[in-house]
Amino acid sequence: MLVDFELVKRAREGDHAAFTQLVQAYRKRILGTIARLIGRPEDVEDVGQEVFLRLHFSLDQLRTEEVFEPWLYRLTVNAAYDYLRRQRRRGESRMADLSEQQVMMADAAAGSRVEQEEQRRRRVRETVQALLSNVSEQDRILLVLKEIEGLSLKELEKIYRVNENALKVRLFRARQRVLKAFAASQPKAAEAGGG
Amino acid sequence: MESISKGRPRDPMEAELDRLFAAYREACPDPEPGAGFMPRLWERIEGQQSWTREFRRFTEVLVTAAAALSLLMGVFLSSREPTVSFYTGTYVEILAANYAQEAPADPAITPAEQEYFR
Repeated sequence: MLVDFELVKRAREGDHAAFTQLVQAYRKRILGTIARLIGRPEDVEDVGQEVFLRLHFSLDQLRTEEVFEPWLYRLTVNAAYDYLRRQRRRGESRMADLSEQQVMMADAAAGSRVEQEEQRRRRVRETVQALLSNVSEQDRILLVLKEIEGLSLKELEKIYRVNENALKVRLFRARQRVLKAFAASQPKAAEAGGG
Repeated sequence: MESISKGRPRDPMEAELDRLFAAYREACPDPEPGAGFMPRLWERIEGQQSWTREFRRFTEVLVTAAAALSLLMGVFLSSREPTVSFYTGTYVEILAANYAQEAPADPAITPAEQEYFR
């Protein structure tokens, strides 16, 4: 826990200062998780605001202060899920969908080392996002929380309130699907690995 | 990090995927929240609270008006004379009562009737 239970209790009782402190303590971590869940830096703050807004109006439903962190993660997961579903409906054009020529032009525009580094990061983000698009939004979130955020199965069990074995099965299947897409996107690497 | 595939030999492609995930983690660092994060959040909270207050006030007015209307209707209906009389007895009782009203007070047999029954 980043804060003590007393602060959560005060925030739950309607103390504005305590709520502000709570947000300040968790916002960076939550924004980071959202960034990795949605993969679009420009929308991270909006989704983060949604998480803390929901937190404010649902704090009174919190049974005990001990379950605050899984509760906050659950709100984060729900907000990210809503965002990803909206995005899928909109079907926005992403960098991964751009033509090779457009990507090369964007790369050429990145002259300095800092810009090149940013381009490399962007490519990694786009690659992972493209791979994760092979699974449902729910599985994608679960996979990111496990494989990228590094949450344990016990922690995931608390967030999802689902049996550990069910989570394992779901994670395994999602990872296999992503792995298959990854192998298909890298035929040379697959050949090298197989031979 | 806990691995699901712990204990079995790692496929090179799986290891490659793990490296890609690690690179993704590094490519998406925890962002610094903007200076306007907290003010904007409080603005949204207050906006939602005022909307909720308005909605609650509206529903309160609506419920009060509905209760007052029901009360008025009740008073109006109870103050009116009943225009329709309802039967309170059984069919036989009502028939008997009606017969008693229609029958003459002294049911003496007329000479014509005596002639008929003879």
